[in-house]
Amino acid sequence: MKMLRALTFAALIGVVMPTLGFAAAKETVVIDLVSEPSSLDPHKQWNPDSHFVYRNIFDQLLSRDDKGEIIPSIARSWAYKSDTEIVFTVRDDVTFHDGQKLTAEDVAFSINRIIDKKFASPQLSQFNKILSATASSASEVTIKTDGPYPVLLAQLVKLSIVPKHIVEKVGNDAFNLAPVGSGAYKFEKWQRGVDVVLVRNDNYWGDKGYFLRADFRAVPDAATRVANLKAGTADLAVTLDPDLAAQLEGAGGVKVLTAVTERIAYLKLNTSRPPFDDVELRRAVAQAVDRQSIIEGLLGGYDKPVSQLASPDYKGYVAGIQGLPFDPDQAKQLVQKAGAKAAEPIAFVTSPTFDQRIVQALIQQLNDVGFKINVESVDFATYLQRAQSEKTKQPAISFGRWSCACQDADGISFPLLHSSSSFSALSDPKIDALLEAARNTLDPDKRLVAYKDVATAVAKDALILPLYQAAVIYGASEKLKWSPTANESFFLNRASWSE
Amino acid sequence: MKDTDAAFRRAPVLERVIQVGGFVVRRLVQALIALFGVITLVFFLQRLTGDPVLLLVPQGATQADTDVMRTALGFDRPLYIQYFGFLADLVRFDLGRSYVQNLPVVDIISSRVPYTLELAAGALVVAIGLGVPIGILIAVRRDRFEARWLIGLVLIGQSMPTFWTSVLLIMFFGVWLRWLPPSGVNGFQSLIMPSLALGFLSMATFARVTRTSVLDELSKDYVRTGLAKGLSMSRLIAHHLMRNAAVPIVTISALEIANLLTGAIIIETVFAWPGLGQLTIQAISARDFSIVQGVVIIGAAAAILLNLIADLLYSIIDPRIRLPGRDA
Repeated sequence: MKMLRALTFAALIGVVMPTLGFAAAKETVVIDLVSEPSSLDPHKQWNPDSHFVYRNIFDQLLSRDDKGEIIPSIARSWAYKSDTEIVFTVRDDVTFHDGQKLTAEDVAFSINRIIDKKFASPQLSQFNKILSATASSASEVTIKTDGPYPVLLAQLVKLSIVPKHIVEKVGNDAFNLAPVGSGAYKFEKWQRGVDVVLVRNDNYWGDKGYFLRADFRAVPDAATRVANLKAGTADLAVTLDPDLAAQLEGAGGVKVLTAVTERIAYLKLNTSRPPFDDVELRRAVAQAVDRQSIIEGLLGGYDKPVSQLASPDYKGYVAGIQGLPFDPDQAKQLVQKAGAKAAEPIAFVTSPTFDQRIVQALIQQLNDVGFKINVESVDFATYLQRAQSEKTKQPAISFGRWSCACQDADGISFPLLHSSSSFSALSDPKIDALLEAARNTLDPDKRLVAYKDVATAVAKDALILPLYQAAVIYGASEKLKWSPTANESFFLNRASWSE
Repeated sequence: MKDTDAAFRRAPVLERVIQVGGFVVRRLVQALIALFGVITLVFFLQRLTGDPVLLLVPQGATQADTDVMRTALGFDRPLYIQYFGFLADLVRFDLGRSYVQNLPVVDIISSRVPYTLELAAGALVVAIGLGVPIGILIAVRRDRFEARWLIGLVLIGQSMPTFWTSVLLIMFFGVWLRWLPPSGVNGFQSLIMPSLALGFLSMATFARVTRTSVLDELSKDYVRTGLAKGLSMSRLIAHHLMRNAAVPIVTISALEIANLLTGAIIIETVFAWPGLGQLTIQAISARDFSIVQGVVIIGAAAAILLNLIADLLYSIIDPRIRLPGRDA
């Protein structure tokens, strides 16, 4: 019996010991995501975790540098033939991972695949202004749009190029399971529910990756992602909150990486129903909310206050727009003046998807000046449904965060403010005309003039209350060299390691 | 008592087979009706709050683009047509496709089942391996110091929330000692902490049931007789007492296995263990209806099957127990 016990103990130690020493040379970088990718077919899914992985397997038609400027990628250059027709010259030195050359045919195929209604890509709405794409020569693709479309280039940053010959041969399902692209990393294996492993593409046309392998793991609990960083079993962890970031700041061997993103948090006030059809009450809300205290007290100081539905990274951002100043006394007076109209209880619609501490802080600040606001929390799908119902049935007040992933003022302002959009509670012909003017011209100066008028009206009449530009917080090993970007993308070939 | 036992043993083999067979068939028919009720309920409950289309499209998608998606997924059809379509697929053992992952539900679930079984087995080893001996010890050494100490341990097992145990384990063995990986699926080492965390609660249940059952038996005549004729306590327990005390433990095993299979959502989330629990919670929040339906069908079927097995096991452990539904 004693012998058996000793043996069991020895066996246990034998199992446990190898984990004590960690590999010396950094071949594999381990990235802890929240969930596994929903899909690795880049035209089939649109969520951050899928995106984080497949953007490394596929090249996009265009890309953005770390500063956010649009740069060539598969398209070497582009030229407008008319306001609705643009010709892209495709690189001729790119091969897919199976060795076949990437051609203009593949680019045209990829665009036509994503705009095909039968294919039902979730991303259709980002590309639905494109009428057609044709390979006009071996190295040229012509894209036609249904009108001048200034956001086209920004949208094409998200267009991954898939190989026509493989997708047509194996079909959509098989392609999703074993994706073949032309990117800096090749797909190696996908252990369902566990991780996706990519391996470096040594024949890549652009900057080659530093790491031989990348292991993208699904770790749903944020505290566990942090534990993995501290234990040295992960090198990068996504989506941390400020409290966990503070924990990491105090620990050795790890660091916090953060960037303000293009995601804008806002307070949506329903201008089509009482009480916020009253401009004075909307102004009271605008003056009651103290953005700075929310950012410093709850968000760890990482986020930045904004007064328009855009951040400085956006095309169409208007410098110098000032919202109504934080002035609770003034807000109190406005609420008192409104009398009975402001005395009715108001439901603040939110969802657990959002940080509830922020919602509670907002409600507290509003109730401090005399509003009677209660929280109504619903699941995210229901929240989305209510946010885009009939204008008079949308919530009177709700919190939201929005990113069009296009860094263009059109991306948030149009759906939230144009009367034709189901997300908008506003019906204002003047605003509609301005948004349409900005959407239908390629001239950046004319667009800026229009957006200046929109932003001024938003600020003055509190049509909606832009709150802050949300930050994204990552945790990383101290040795990982990588800069997070505003569009929350992750390119493995822009990361490296310092021993 | 002795007579019935003898009569049962003398019953012709054929009659016994028919008796057991009839019992199994009756139970399976009941199970199918229950299963039908469960899947109907789940189908409609999920759809009470709408469909997943809005979660699939990017923010700002126009109504027209959303409608394209809705039509492609079939959510524009009337509810009863969707239901009959679902039933028609089901009788062909087709659980449908995941809207989010674009894969057959059967493939997704079957890739997760092995992890769930592995974790449940690990937890069961912890629960029975610790729980039963502890239960026996508490019963035999009642009033002694070690029994009180062990009762304390059981109490802790029962009252510590699993997410808290999990976090403590991760901080201690994963981050501080670095003996075990904090999360993931990487061979036997990865299984240790989640098994401990999940098994700890069940351990307490097993210990309590074993204690009660053993205490019951300890007061019986055959125990006194055995001790009087000079049997050692350990021999008496191992050879005589446990056979009699085992029935409640088997009952609780069936319930606990069902619990371990379906109740590991928190543990699976904390340890990033890719079992069915984690899959389900993610599917529910993404409104991935077909996965939720698939998991519920499989979970309900497993619970029914385990109870059936437990019922059959009773009559093997203790032949005096007749299968229900047969005249005595």
